[in-house]
Amino acid sequence: MRQKKSKALASKPLGAVFSLSGFIVALVVGWIVFPNLLYSKKAQPLNFSHAAHRSEECESCHSLRADGTYSGIPGISRCRECHESAQGNSREEASLISDYVEKNREVVWKVYGRQPDNVYFSHAPHKGRGLECTRCHRDVSKEEKLPAYRQNLITGYSLSTMKMVECEKCHASKGASNNCEICHK
Amino acid sequence: MNFGRRAFIQAAGGAIGGILVSPLPWQLAADSAKWSQNWSWRPSPERGEITRAAGVCTMCEGGCAVQVRLVNGNRAISIEGNPANPLSEGGICPLGASGLQFLYAPYRIAQPMKQTGRRGDISGLKPISWEEALGELGKKLGRMRAEGKSRELAGIISNSASSMSDLWLQFFTSYGSSNLFRMPSAADGLRLAAQLTTGKASPFAFGLGNAEYILSFGSNLFEGRGVASLVFAALRQWTREGKRSVKLVQVESRCSMTAARADRFVAVEPGTEAALAMGIAHVMVRRGCYDVDFVKDKVFGFEDWSDNTGKKRRGFKNLVSSAPYTPEEVAKVTGLEAAKIEELAEEFASRQKALAIWAIGQADNVNGAYHHLAFAALNALKGNLKPNGLVSLAPAVPLAGLPPVQKDPGADESAGPPGLDVVRSGSAPYRRYGFYEFLDDVREGSKCSVEMLLVHEANPLYSIPENKLFEQALEKVPTLVSFSSYMDETAAKADLILPDHTAFERYVDVVGIPCAPFSYYALGAPVMKPLLDTRHTGEVLLRLAGSIGAPVRASMPWKSYEEYLRFRVQGIAQSRKGAIADKPDVPIIKLSSAQSVQPNYSSGEELWKKLKSGCCWYDAPSPVAGFETASGKFELACRSIGAEGALGDDKLYLPHFAPAELSGSESEYPLLLVAYKPSYTTVGYLPTPSFMNKLIPDKVLQGGDILIELHPQTAAELKFAHGQRVFLKTTQGGAAVRVNISEAARPGVVYMPQGLGHWAYDLYVRGKGANANSLMEVHLDPVGLMGTLLPCRAQLRSEERGNL
Amino acid sequence: MSEGRHAQGGVRFGMVIDLDKCTGCGACSVACQAENNISFRPDESNKLRSITWMSIFELNNGGHYPDYKYAFLPRPCMHCDSPGHAPCTFVCPVNATTRDENNGIVTMVYPRCIGCRYCIVACPYHARSFNWWDPKWPEPMESMLSPEVSTRMRGVVEKCTFCHHRLLAVRSKAYKDGTDPDKATYTTACADACPAKAIVFGNLLDPQSEAARLSKDPNAFQILKKLNTKPKVYYISAHDWIRKLSDNAVA
Repeated sequence: MRQKKSKALASKPLGAVFSLSGFIVALVVGWIVFPNLLYSKKAQPLNFSHAAHRSEECESCHSLRADGTYSGIPGISRCRECHESAQGNSREEASLISDYVEKNREVVWKVYGRQPDNVYFSHAPHKGRGLECTRCHRDVSKEEKLPAYRQNLITGYSLSTMKMVECEKCHASKGASNNCEICHK
Repeated sequence: MNFGRRAFIQAAGGAIGGILVSPLPWQLAADSAKWSQNWSWRPSPERGEITRAAGVCTMCEGGCAVQVRLVNGNRAISIEGNPANPLSEGGICPLGASGLQFLYAPYRIAQPMKQTGRRGDISGLKPISWEEALGELGKKLGRMRAEGKSRELAGIISNSASSMSDLWLQFFTSYGSSNLFRMPSAADGLRLAAQLTTGKASPFAFGLGNAEYILSFGSNLFEGRGVASLVFAALRQWTREGKRSVKLVQVESRCSMTAARADRFVAVEPGTEAALAMGIAHVMVRRGCYDVDFVKDKVFGFEDWSDNTGKKRRGFKNLVSSAPYTPEEVAKVTGLEAAKIEELAEEFASRQKALAIWAIGQADNVNGAYHHLAFAALNALKGNLKPNGLVSLAPAVPLAGLPPVQKDPGADESAGPPGLDVVRSGSAPYRRYGFYEFLDDVREGSKCSVEMLLVHEANPLYSIPENKLFEQALEKVPTLVSFSSYMDETAAKADLILPDHTAFERYVDVVGIPCAPFSYYALGAPVMKPLLDTRHTGEVLLRLAGSIGAPVRASMPWKSYEEYLRFRVQGIAQSRKGAIADKPDVPIIKLSSAQSVQPNYSSGEELWKKLKSGCCWYDAPSPVAGFETASGKFELACRSIGAEGALGDDKLYLPHFAPAELSGSESEYPLLLVAYKPSYTTVGYLPTPSFMNKLIPDKVLQGGDILIELHPQTAAELKFAHGQRVFLKTTQGGAAVRVNISEAARPGVVYMPQGLGHWAYDLYVRGKGANANSLMEVHLDPVGLMGTLLPCRAQLRSEERGNL
Repeated sequence: MSEGRHAQGGVRFGMVIDLDKCTGCGACSVACQAENNISFRPDESNKLRSITWMSIFELNNGGHYPDYKYAFLPRPCMHCDSPGHAPCTFVCPVNATTRDENNGIVTMVYPRCIGCRYCIVACPYHARSFNWWDPKWPEPMESMLSPEVSTRMRGVVEKCTFCHHRLLAVRSKAYKDGTDPDKATYTTACADACPAKAIVFGNLLDPQSEAARLSKDPNAFQILKKLNTKPKVYYISAHDWIRKLSDNAVA
């Protein structure tokens, strides 16, 4: 009985080690392995260097239309305005010209911030009200290469799809309405 | 140290702790929740910029200006009215709003097809290329023409007025055949009546917007389609001040939508509206309450008259005063009380701006020529045919005329077997209305033969009353060529199909609106690229003309349909008439011939551009003045009826009530069957779209069963319960139906909706009830040879299966 | 969401339908279907299963032929303004249907709906429909779907939203143009489509609006007013027999 107890006592520090190692492994799994497993990485069909277009205003491609809707990613016709012929000799540029501009095909970009169908988000009320684009979007000003599009394997949403709770928090803090109808269609 | 059970539990405990402070469980829970709300198979509509493109609706003859909403400029998602159009002011009808369901219809024909098996075998229809299809058709047409069999080409096209029908006529004329027929419509009778009384070949038009009292003889104004644009414009005009300023009196047997929404419903026995008109005329004449001056100066045949041989003939006054038209006698025929007839006549006679209308709206040609004349006579008595009157003739749109057809020296007119035109020439002056006679002749096969029949924007196998006539005629026609965009009943029987684009994929135009007093022209350019491998039938005709022979080619010199339309629009520009309406407040519905419209366009190019941008062209009505009859007056006694030989009975020159001789015995068929056109089905070339299926009430259609309306009293006599399955039989055919006991029905009459009972198309269209057209009987009008759809005798038997 | 937590705004969208102008053509119902991606099935004759946001009901005077008369009653959602809750929002256990107190519009968040159908039972106007089947569009009719309205799934309830997405669109435009989004007005697809101009839509609290003016017409009435649901859809008819029906279970 005594012996048993001492054995148990002896295993106490060891037990802590086991627990700790289990804890650490779980942390690694939970914080690193799992997110990597949960999100698949998908490459964009074509690379776009925001840095290379730094001479342009953001608004010349991403702007509000006259009806208040947001233009999002520009279509191939906008690309063609400058890229009627190749503007360099990279492979991406050649692909842009031969696969899209010449065939008049739209580039099927994977939209990082794409919201589900039942969500209505308008840029018009958010833009220019003390909110920088980078409040929600990544800073692309110096970005040479588009990051991989990461899709949640369970939900099918993009990693950057805004969560409702984030919308609500901000709306609440700014005194904006949090009615369902404001964001759902 | 060994990793035992205890160690495992300790590690696991730690792991649980670790997991709990990692995002894993929370993320999984949240994602699972989202996953459970995500139904991956439900469609996710493509997003993008939404724009509008202007066009004109051609789904009926109403010519409403519409806008198509497009996503990213290439995906049409809905049709809206065009708020800039003064006729519609942005309104649209349910068929127009459903329009894209035809563009995206699963039953569209995707490419040319050829029947390789037995006719009517859908699986035998094999896709072929356009080159093959055009080559085959061109070769056949060329051969027929070379063999002197031009007249064996026949065609059936839609009854809406467009440049397309003019192109068809040009094609047929230059090819050497006069066997081109429009689908029958109520406008045929209006045209015939106008021709008989005024000597002019355009149909009567009604100034709905200027009337204050409207006596409607069976005109289903509110049932939609046809003249919906005109009716709704008038309706808005009537209610502009909030309260309806016009009294609408509806005369018919069934309490239709129009009757229900009218200010007064005058219920008469089916098919006796003209008797009531004559009775009203009787009272007006007896009391002298008619426009005496107009009748004296401008009307021929009111008093007794002498024909060319000097024989004394009875005039209208004499006839209408005779025994059959006293209120007492008319009461017996119509089922109204004599006092009511007197009262109605007095009201009509005493009201200012009172107008009698008929054959406008959703209507078959339910009236023979003499009935049309009776309604016209009421307007003559009111003096409505004066210049600026409420009744005028549909004005012509000054489009450029097509070049004269060049006679082909090679195709000798006398060679070959006689065509239909030869058979019938000299028989009747109004031969152009002989669609049913044509079917009869082909069916009997003795008088003529048809080698090839072309059908465009028509579905006669389903949609003409007594449709088996077409089916039987078709058996005698070796080749049926369909230009249908859809696999409709007729197209399914075709030997060759050259599918047309649908409305918003092609150039279309609308030349005038039926029964509208003002002139109207609207144009629609394609709003999107064609979805399928189809071709504009106009372009196909131009191409065929090029391959058949020099004279045909020379008669149709345009390179494309767009060029052809541009050519036509130049005619309007050169006429310097009318104006472009680009604002909704142009009082187009109020226009009378007293007003003149100043052109607001400077060049043909500007006109074309404005038309293309969705504006319509309009012009004031043209006055009826100057009757072109033999007497130079409005002929109540229509002398042209007897142009080919004096008629024995004087009344055959005059408007009169001519009850039909119905087939079948009254003892066997004790009831009358009336087919009606409801607002929620379509009855012509287009089937009822899925959106409109939701509008069909369950008292009309339940599952696959059609319900007929029966008055409670009649149902009680027959011991039928509501919903009971019964068998409806006429001399023409029968159908299993169910009973809807309704107070809208007249006792002794069975009312059956049209537009159901399709057997082609897809699951969303077919298998819904029975086709009323296959039960109806068509009578050939003795004057105009037009098919007249009268009530027919019917019987109802209870089916063994009993109630449901 | 509406237990007084949000102050009621100065906007109350409502509708006035003139039954004497309405011919019962059904354009409103079809325009609504096209605008709101309403699904359809081959057989729509079972009206308890058929999904419509704007239904056309037939009213009759109970007379006998030929004195029988009928009229048509287009019925959208009434967007009940009863204090605190509309009948449907009150019973929803999951807040899938709520009223926006800023404008009085009652809408649905479809993925949130658990399909219990309490709201269908609670609605005295039969304005709600249930998706008994997965909405399916025959190929290629999915191309007709509008991106402005999300498609529904089997097992959820749907109903008229007063074309709420159009409000979002005009508000968005107002933000862009720098005008007051709370003053932005719009019309619904049914009102736009009506060829008789029988449907008028607008802010009932704005005395300048046509809808507010007509809602105070002596012939204007609400259906089942006695239930104190405070419907924001008004009807107008000069006919007594139609007005009398307003208090019965016409819907």
